[in-house]
Amino acid sequence: MKRHIEALLWLTLIGAALVWSFSWLQLDLIGLLRHDSLRQMGDYAGSFFPPDTSPAWLRQIFKGALETLAISAIGTLLAALAGAGLSLLAAGRLGQLAKALSRLLLNALRSVPELVWAALMVLAAGLGPFAGTLALALHTAGVLGRLFAEALENAPAEPARALRQAGAGPLAAFCYGTLPGVLTQWLSYTLYRWENNIRMAAVLGFVGAGGLGQMLYFTLSLFQQSRAASVILAMLVLVLLVDALSAWLRNRLG
Amino acid sequence: MSIRLDGVGLTHANGYQALQQIDLTITRGERVAIIGPSGAGKTSLLRLLGTGLMPSAGQLRILDEQPASLGRGALRRLRARIGLIHQSPPLPPRQRVVTAVLAGRLGQWSLLRALVSLCYPLDAAGARAALEPLDLEDKLFARCDQLSGGQLQRVGIARVLYQQADLLLADEPVSAMDPVLAEHTLGLLSRVAGQRGLTLVASLHAVDLALRHFPRVIGLRDGQVLFDLPAAEVGQRHLAQLYSNDSLAEHAAPLPATEPLPAERMPRRCT
Repeated sequence: MKRHIEALLWLTLIGAALVWSFSWLQLDLIGLLRHDSLRQMGDYAGSFFPPDTSPAWLRQIFKGALETLAISAIGTLLAALAGAGLSLLAAGRLGQLAKALSRLLLNALRSVPELVWAALMVLAAGLGPFAGTLALALHTAGVLGRLFAEALENAPAEPARALRQAGAGPLAAFCYGTLPGVLTQWLSYTLYRWENNIRMAAVLGFVGAGGLGQMLYFTLSLFQQSRAASVILAMLVLVLLVDALSAWLRNRLG
Repeated sequence: MSIRLDGVGLTHANGYQALQQIDLTITRGERVAIIGPSGAGKTSLLRLLGTGLMPSAGQLRILDEQPASLGRGALRRLRARIGLIHQSPPLPPRQRVVTAVLAGRLGQWSLLRALVSLCYPLDAAGARAALEPLDLEDKLFARCDQLSGGQLQRVGIARVLYQQADLLLADEPVSAMDPVLAEHTLGLLSRVAGQRGLTLVASLHAVDLALRHFPRVIGLRDGQVLFDLPAAEVGQRHLAQLYSNDSLAEHAAPLPATEPLPAERMPRRCT
């Protein structure tokens, strides 16, 4: 009985909070469903069709798609390299101080979202693909660094220790003893992040960081819906292609 | 002279005295088995010989060097001459056999050579030559996780052979194997060591294997050498003393009821 009353109390509180939120944000849900607003939405959606397929525009889209692909690929590659270096520190291979500092750095890199990094990098490096690449590299380095470090910590220590015991140097022992155990995991994490980053690269253009996203932003701002439609289609195809490629590669690794 | 211990003692960080007053000389090309009950200090002794631990008392000389007084570089060079055979070979599962074998010479290679060889095996012929006496040359490019336990163990031995170690140490090399495989592997190990004139020191649980494959047997108990005899002179009296109070029932089985003739010490339990 007591539990019922408690549940009722919580439900009432949640309901009240919900109603209050709607009135505070002045959300007009009923206005959304009115006849003329439905018609307006339909008109707007209709204006996207047919997509612009003029050769000149398609050529531009192709260029933009290549740019987005390059931003995501280079961003992920840089992130993987930086992440690998930082993960060695973060797994405690070079002392406790380096471990604590690199973990702090990784957390900082990771907790700032790509879009915020992109806005900052546009200020630092100017409009264009360079800013987008840096933004992806910074955030992804934080993510991959942590995942790589976890893989390192879970890797068996025995193979590398045995090589050290036979006179191998620390770096050689790492490459022959530890790396084979973590490399496929590292690669598969990197490919997975690449899938995420190609989607993110398409969005980063909205803050001026180049690629298809920037084209989408311009065309939408200029009310060129049919051109925007072909950009959206191009994004879709690009993301599907990269997903398929990455999934196939990860499958082959596994 | 391969190994010389003068009054060597080893006390672990927690105060446990693993070895005390060990005097031992093992000459080049000798094959020695170390037997004794669990906790007798077999593994500590082998780790000491492998320079993984340093003695807390006495003098230890290995391959004419004193590991305790060596600098980092010299210690690495000494370690490159000592081959350690593990109970379960610590090989990364995804590594190819050729790379796993070539890793044996990392102590002699420059870092650059090691890194290049990681991408493209520089001395595949050498790895094949090391695998050949172990009947594994057809597995050169197989991945380690495609091999059986016995094959992996042989890859581990091939790595030590490729290392061109002067001293082979083996810590319970066959304790995880079935009797037939254990017999085969030990036979192989001591044959290869004999052919190349290598010094071989192995700790073993199975007394009969030790007596059959090694000319010299050292009995270790409570961190001290109880006996150090040619295999032919190790009798039931020695073994009874070595394993006394130590759950007699467990070790009574392999021992013959009466003192056997010198020519045939032990019943062949495993065959």
